[in-house]
Amino acid sequence: MKKVLSLLLTAVMLLAAVPALAEITLDYPTFQVGVNTAAPVIAQLVEEFNAQHAGQIAIKVEEIPGDANYIEKIKVLLASNDLPPVIYGAGYNLLDLALAKELLVDLTEYVDTDPEWKALYNDKAFEVNSRDGKVYGSSSEGNTIGYFYNKELFEKAGLAGPAKTWEEFFAQLDTLKAAGITPVSMDTADSAWVTSLWMGAMIATSGEEGKAFMAQMMPDNYNTPEVIAALTNIQKMFMEYTTLDAVGGKYENAANAFLSGQTAMIANGPWMIGDFSDTTKAPEGFSDKVGVAIYPEGFAYDEPIQGYLVTKQDDPAVVEAAVEMVKFFTGAHAQTVALEKQGMLPASTAVEITQAAKDNFPLLAEFVEALEGARIRTATTQATMYPNLLDIMSAELPNLANGSMTPEQFAQALTDGAAKNK
Amino acid sequence: MQRRQAGWIALFLLPTVALFLTIYAVPLGMTLFTSLFDYRLFPSRMEFVGLANYVQLFARDAQFHRALVSNLIWIVLHTTVHIAIGTILALILYKKPRGWKAVRVIYMIPSIISNAAVAMIFVNIYNPSYGVINSFLKSVGLAGMQRNWLYDPATSFISITIIWTLFSGYNTTLILSQALSLDDSVIEAAKVDGASRLQQDFLIVLPLVKHMLATTMIMAATYMLQMFDLIYLTTRGGPGVTTTNLPLMLYKTAMTENNYGYANTMGVVVIALGVLCMTLINKLLNTRED
Repeated sequence: MKKVLSLLLTAVMLLAAVPALAEITLDYPTFQVGVNTAAPVIAQLVEEFNAQHAGQIAIKVEEIPGDANYIEKIKVLLASNDLPPVIYGAGYNLLDLALAKELLVDLTEYVDTDPEWKALYNDKAFEVNSRDGKVYGSSSEGNTIGYFYNKELFEKAGLAGPAKTWEEFFAQLDTLKAAGITPVSMDTADSAWVTSLWMGAMIATSGEEGKAFMAQMMPDNYNTPEVIAALTNIQKMFMEYTTLDAVGGKYENAANAFLSGQTAMIANGPWMIGDFSDTTKAPEGFSDKVGVAIYPEGFAYDEPIQGYLVTKQDDPAVVEAAVEMVKFFTGAHAQTVALEKQGMLPASTAVEITQAAKDNFPLLAEFVEALEGARIRTATTQATMYPNLLDIMSAELPNLANGSMTPEQFAQALTDGAAKNK
Repeated sequence: MQRRQAGWIALFLLPTVALFLTIYAVPLGMTLFTSLFDYRLFPSRMEFVGLANYVQLFARDAQFHRALVSNLIWIVLHTTVHIAIGTILALILYKKPRGWKAVRVIYMIPSIISNAAVAMIFVNIYNPSYGVINSFLKSVGLAGMQRNWLYDPATSFISITIIWTLFSGYNTTLILSQALSLDDSVIEAAKVDGASRLQQDFLIVLPLVKHMLATTMIMAATYMLQMFDLIYLTTRGGPGVTTTNLPLMLYKTAMTENNYGYANTMGVVVIALGVLCMTLINKLLNTRED
């Protein structure tokens, strides 16, 4: 009797294990967790995907707080040829790094055979996600970026609204400072995201050379008049117009300074809009105080960033599962979820800006309207620069900020850093 | 019989030797080997360059020189000041004053907190906007002395150094345990001979715990040669390379610059430095002759 029971028990356990064995687990490291503005979106998409593919594919999220930490982790995995099935480019040009090691799956055929998915790619999305005519990635997030300002603080300083020119912008900084208000949020740590947005905007609007510089993929010479002029302004902003902890501070410090009403302006994209009405991050009613603008001289960042990439795996079934995940995460539904939950403009122009999104985020509608006035549009500097330069930016910006490094020396440091990639 | 015994000994040692070779010897050999190459991963490249990496490192790389000097300063400070703090406390505690056990435990607490947690604590202590130090200075009317402690080139090095120098709990525990195990008769004899408290501590106890001192100094030196997480989580070696040490520079060279051959060259230097430190410390304290 005991023998029969043992055999039955073993059989039941084996049967129970069979579906688990057949299920493919996709390990997915991501920085879009915790306080990241996209965290609720990713959590929902993972839950929906797992429910839809229950018993067949399961996404297992590995939390890596901080996008700079995520990029470093991916580089380490890249070095050991141990990439997870799906990686998210996040605008840091992981595509070229992974492609150099021939670790990416060519998605061209998958895209071509799925008209619905293909229809979501616009020309720019194809361009940033392709190399030599082959598609390697799929975008979900539009990278349209301006800056936010605190209307209440502007009013207190007697300012009517956003500046139209850089001369007016710097005059506004002086006015805010004179009114006892810290004008701008900035940062130096991790990828110096907020600071680089101000810097790139100044370069792009300096003339045709500046615009051409911003359009260049992996520039190797930063010793140009437009870059040095922008760095001179950045140095001034650090010295006179920002918080004490901007030097050495991360994006979170910059965001917190704006959300707590300490600073009047922060450069960032519409994905931050959700934070303004999140009472765990900002005071009640803060979203009513926020306005959005494009940069002076009619500039906005507006290019899709590299999206999700599928990497080569030993098991073809895992690759197929990864493609399914990327299709889902970049599909119309996913882009709409991000739009309505986070205020993230979709990568695809085919995805409608829904009424729900406009109702949830009135600021988003305001931004879309302001965007119509943008006559200069480029990608961000981080999307186009060599990855090692992010580290140099972060290390040397404090020296630029405290005056122990000149803008020319900083530009030279970036140029020397770019040369190390040859 | 002896030959048979030797066979069994060799057999039982085999797993340990295999493990040692796999985990230490093989990677060490690979590090030495690849330091002679221009070795990158993306795109893949492995070109023999001989000693070019070493020439570049010692003759032309100003950032490496700075990191090396910083590392040497930290090694010296850690093996002297840090050990001295722990030793002095051990010499006070071994006389078992009231509450000595509580002090021993309390002083040990910072040493058992993970470096990541310590780094986060000090990032907030040093924060120029809301940190404890600047807030205190402001409250006592010394706002002019406020600094961005971690990111001002004038203060970043000393700010980082303070984080690990002050807390010498492990050393106190080790030296104290050695001191408590000494034969009381030696101390009694010294008392009878008229030795003062200070003379007992420095002329009797200290020489007798010399081996433990050498051990703690070697541990302190190797700790500084491995130090990575505290610096990475606070300043990441900045501003510039002000607080960069050799392990951090090695990491950046490999991970952000994709130059594994050059990074391994630094690795060889770190290993050589470690061996040199251990040899010097042993010679200094004459532990071999004993």
